[in-house]
Amino acid sequence: MFFELIRLQFLKSLRSTSFAKSLLTNIFLGFIILLLLGYVFGAGLLLNRVIGQLAEGQDSLEVLNSYLIFFFLTEFLYRYFIQSLPVVDLESLLHLPIGKRKIMHMLLIRTFISPINIIALLLFLPFGLEVVATRFGDMAFLGWLGSLVLTSWILHWFMLWFKQRFEDSTVGLLIVMGVLVLGGGSSYMGWFNLGELTKPMFDLAITSPIPLILLFLAFLGSYWLCYRYHLENAYLEDLSPEGETRISGQSIGFFSRFGLSGEMANIEWKLIVRHKKSRTYLMLSAFFLLYGMVFYTQPAYMENERLSFILIFVGVFITGIFMIQYGQLFLSWNSGNFDFYLQKKDGVEQLVRGKYLLFISISVICFLASIPYVYFGWKILLTHAVTFLFNVGILIHVIIYLALWKPKPMDLNKGAMFNYEGVGAAQWLMVIPMMIMPYVFYLPFALLINEYAGLAALGIFGLLGILFYKKLSAINVRRVYENKYEISSSFRQEL
Amino acid sequence: MITVNNLKKQYKEAVVLDVESLQIPKGECFGLVGNNGAGKTTLFRIMLDLVRPTQGEVTIEGYQVNQTEEWKKFTGAYLDEHMLLSYLTPDEYFQTLRKIYGMSEADLEVHLEKFTELFNDEIRGKKKYIRDLSKGNLKKVGIAAALLGKPEVVFLDEPFENLDPSSQIRLKKLILKEKEESRITFLISSHDLNHVTEICDRIVLLEKGKIIRDLHEKSEMMRELEAYFMG
Repeated sequence: MFFELIRLQFLKSLRSTSFAKSLLTNIFLGFIILLLLGYVFGAGLLLNRVIGQLAEGQDSLEVLNSYLIFFFLTEFLYRYFIQSLPVVDLESLLHLPIGKRKIMHMLLIRTFISPINIIALLLFLPFGLEVVATRFGDMAFLGWLGSLVLTSWILHWFMLWFKQRFEDSTVGLLIVMGVLVLGGGSSYMGWFNLGELTKPMFDLAITSPIPLILLFLAFLGSYWLCYRYHLENAYLEDLSPEGETRISGQSIGFFSRFGLSGEMANIEWKLIVRHKKSRTYLMLSAFFLLYGMVFYTQPAYMENERLSFILIFVGVFITGIFMIQYGQLFLSWNSGNFDFYLQKKDGVEQLVRGKYLLFISISVICFLASIPYVYFGWKILLTHAVTFLFNVGILIHVIIYLALWKPKPMDLNKGAMFNYEGVGAAQWLMVIPMMIMPYVFYLPFALLINEYAGLAALGIFGLLGILFYKKLSAINVRRVYENKYEISSSFRQEL
Repeated sequence: MITVNNLKKQYKEAVVLDVESLQIPKGECFGLVGNNGAGKTTLFRIMLDLVRPTQGEVTIEGYQVNQTEEWKKFTGAYLDEHMLLSYLTPDEYFQTLRKIYGMSEADLEVHLEKFTELFNDEIRGKKKYIRDLSKGNLKKVGIAAALLGKPEVVFLDEPFENLDPSSQIRLKKLILKEKEESRITFLISSHDLNHVTEICDRIVLLEKGKIIRDLHEKSEMMRELEAYFMG
């Protein structure tokens, strides 16, 4: 029975249409994961030497043990964002006469098979062999490494419980923020040193088996906690992640000046606010507004009189992040109701124009919000203004044009992290023209005359694009109409 | 009103629809029946220009459907959930449609009045997204939306499916009343022979994409259909 369930799971992932369709994406992802794990292992190999360099004269094991807690706090954070819940598979199994307990065990154990769970092992195995095993012997090595790996695994079960318990709620977010503040802030502000407080436990793991045993019990306990909670909540009503009665996202009055396309922009706004995936995209855009802080605080980019090339890219990104992120899946967002637009007179045209309106409005907001960066020099403001013009004048059309290449359906209620539904070859390849385009306009003038001429060129082409907005957007509208049968039939397919 | 000429839909080798000619006059209630896979939905989708025909053409009021969009102004349809904006509440959805069709608030109110009985207080004024409604209520929203904006032609795919018995009867009354008062041409596909023979003036039977019966005589319909489906 148990193996039958596992076989079903295997078949499910193998036969899901998205797997077959996005084989390329999957291979690419697999490759990325291997690469990342490779990096982790590499970092593990170098760990001893790196610590030796950073904390000269101190014992590297002592240093590592005092910082381990921060590793686990970080792990807590990335697990919160990445780790997915197993319950989505439950619906099709619940009604069968298989015991709920069995299903739960299977689902939970399946989540355990994940690259995240070998990160701790890969990172600390070389260090353990190199330092702990040679200095304290094999038993100590096992005790120490075992404690670390078990702590990581406890976090796995704990997180499954935690996410299910506080999913999408402010409490959960507050706790995560609290962990962040506690971890980083306390030591930084000097309230108390978290690292020193937890160090004895890891030290003890070397000399005695008690921590290992305790952690093992905690590991079983955390599994039990997670299992009990999931078992008790294994009802369909508990699985729907969103509160049904809460109606969020009101119409934005400003859009109503733009007639029907304004109405479409309004609907699209509601779509964004009311689906999990699009909400995450929106939040990411807000987050990327801070992207400038990474670059503008670097003297390397700012000190010399010349404008660094890279700043153009940063500007494009800050003022256009939403259209770049959200726009790359242009029609896939509407895959569930594309027929609605098809069936209305001029519906598709109004939809595309509504999206244009929304992208441009949000771009304006991003530009306005980025004005405080003028603190880092008026050149930054100039760059932002110019890249903003370029984004709404030219890049917007390019993104939409590329996104219309074989759009794929997707489920908007799934999370956005590591969810590659709707992503096809086009979305991967799209990055290239997006990175290169601004420089195609900028570089010739910047190199031949000076960087301000380059900026001027970028701005002027942007303005030209805005002047010819009607003509350029008509190209994309026509493109949707030309492919409407293919698009609508692919959207009607099951995911 | 609606003419179909030499229509064919082929997926690779398989011919799923092959309709040589079909005329539906204005004001007719046209019923489409047939077993699963007979091509009912495909026919509707081609008539609504949602699927490209391999050959042939469909015209509504003289407009060829894949050449212009004029006909969409007076054509309403509800085939499946893809035609709803499921992330809106029913009220928001009707408001959106009102703006699309350029109606006034009062027009919308008058229109929705007609559905009071069918909605049974479960649709309007509820703080619930369409995607969270039950299948039957979803259908009611779709049907009300299809009839919005004074259409002259209305396509309904399986309108009685998922509705409770009293809703089925109310819907039947509603369709008959609309047909009487507004001379709407209805195109209805259904598996429910009782309902469809009761409201439709004409019933066409599809089998493997071909029209094999075209029944006009109300008294004969039920008998003929039963004979066919009993096999």
